[in-house]
Amino acid sequence: MYDVVIIGAGPAGLSAAIACREWDLHVLVLDEFPKPGGRLLGQLHQEPSGEWWNGIQETNLLLEKAQKYDTDIRCGVSAYHIEKLEHGYAIHTNQGSFETENLLLATGAAESAVPVPGWTLPGVMSIGAAQVMTNVHRVKVGQKGIVVGVNVLSAAIARELQLAGVELHSMALPASNPATVQHSNPNTVMDGLVRIAHLAPSAFLRFGSKFAKASWVRRLAVKFYPKGGVKMWGMPIHIRKAILSINGNDRVESVTMCRINADGEQIPGTEENITVDFVCIAGGLYPLTELAAVIGCPFRYMEELGGHVPIHSERMETPLKGVYVAGNITGIESAKVARAQGELAGLSIAADKLKAHADLQQHVEDAVKLVATTRADATIQFHPHITDGRHKMEQAFQQTKSS
Amino acid sequence: MDDLIICRCEEVSLADIKRTAHMYQCSAREVKLRTRAGMGYCGGRTCRPAVDAVLEEVTGEKPGNDIPLKVSPPVRPVSLSTLGGSERHE
Repeated sequence: MYDVVIIGAGPAGLSAAIACREWDLHVLVLDEFPKPGGRLLGQLHQEPSGEWWNGIQETNLLLEKAQKYDTDIRCGVSAYHIEKLEHGYAIHTNQGSFETENLLLATGAAESAVPVPGWTLPGVMSIGAAQVMTNVHRVKVGQKGIVVGVNVLSAAIARELQLAGVELHSMALPASNPATVQHSNPNTVMDGLVRIAHLAPSAFLRFGSKFAKASWVRRLAVKFYPKGGVKMWGMPIHIRKAILSINGNDRVESVTMCRINADGEQIPGTEENITVDFVCIAGGLYPLTELAAVIGCPFRYMEELGGHVPIHSERMETPLKGVYVAGNITGIESAKVARAQGELAGLSIAADKLKAHADLQQHVEDAVKLVATTRADATIQFHPHITDGRHKMEQAFQQTKSS
Repeated sequence: MDDLIICRCEEVSLADIKRTAHMYQCSAREVKLRTRAGMGYCGGRTCRPAVDAVLEEVTGEKPGNDIPLKVSPPVRPVSLSTLGGSERHE
């Protein structure tokens, strides 16, 4: 019987493991990917301060610390079910079952697909898959590609592909259909673009991002958006052009692009074919919560957090005894926030486990504050009303607890 | 556009989902059970948000607090020998 099993060896899971090991708990970390680090492994970007954020280095720092405390981390292990036991939980995986008193779900996020005609052709991949191939496996995904879907995630990864020498024609929206509603409206997309414009090394865009805080300015910006797109790192970003279809016989050979009006409707007669051999589709991230669902965690749907999220407190406990959550399963935020949440969850678990022997209250409170300041200092906000979402979630937890 | 595939594991098209939603005037969950959209090999991990978006468009049903299609184990593909319990325990 473990004191705690942590599912997910990303920034949240690893930090939690370190915090638990610091208090000498019996810990096991499981991850289905062959390497620890989670999505941190793929990250590489320059912060506005000029410093580089290198996910592989950040992962190594966490792993060194985990190794110092003799942490048991097992990769290539997929958890497919969790059952409640009398005094804990049984986690069933493709490598056997594990019993534990406490459980931390740090399963991260999954990508939303963007179905446009032809999206099932070989050569179409999610932008996150392109990131993993490029930055983790060091495989060049193709000769020339295009990104369908303009958002915080796709802009950051498009930049990483560029840095790796992968040629991208441009970024554009998916054509409007019932499955792409959120991603195909230029006004909605512009609202999101404004939140990343400060990352662009272009004085024009940075200037624009300051006064584009007013919604009427953003509407004007959409209306008069340049036909050639706005360049970010030399690559055109189109929000008044959409990809109608991905074409090819056995694999991607081209895409059909057209101009769209400010409401996202196709302008007839503007279609053009662009030769590409790969396409990255980018529909953003949503919290990956399957395991929380199978053990019966109650959920809240919160757009601010990126979708359905298990109810949890600000110290990362769920209403189920011994079940904790950390990282993107609690809402889509940056790796730094996930890391701080992981440390907090680890301390909460240690505090609850050791409460007869030690008072960790101050450590937990400090960790709660660290999550809040990390969130406030984040360079990229995936959702604009994240802090509101966090407050609503805390209220939901208090309501669940008292009912 | 209607032949656009939404659920690639089960090859369910936009037309299949629209037709079912109109014909049975039913909930998102029922549409999924009738068409198998979101119930394939990946367990809906790839298309779940797209299926939900389509249903919101077609039936006007907004996402509630519960996950639209109940999540059932196994949540990852596993072999029958694994499910049979011949694996080790710790």
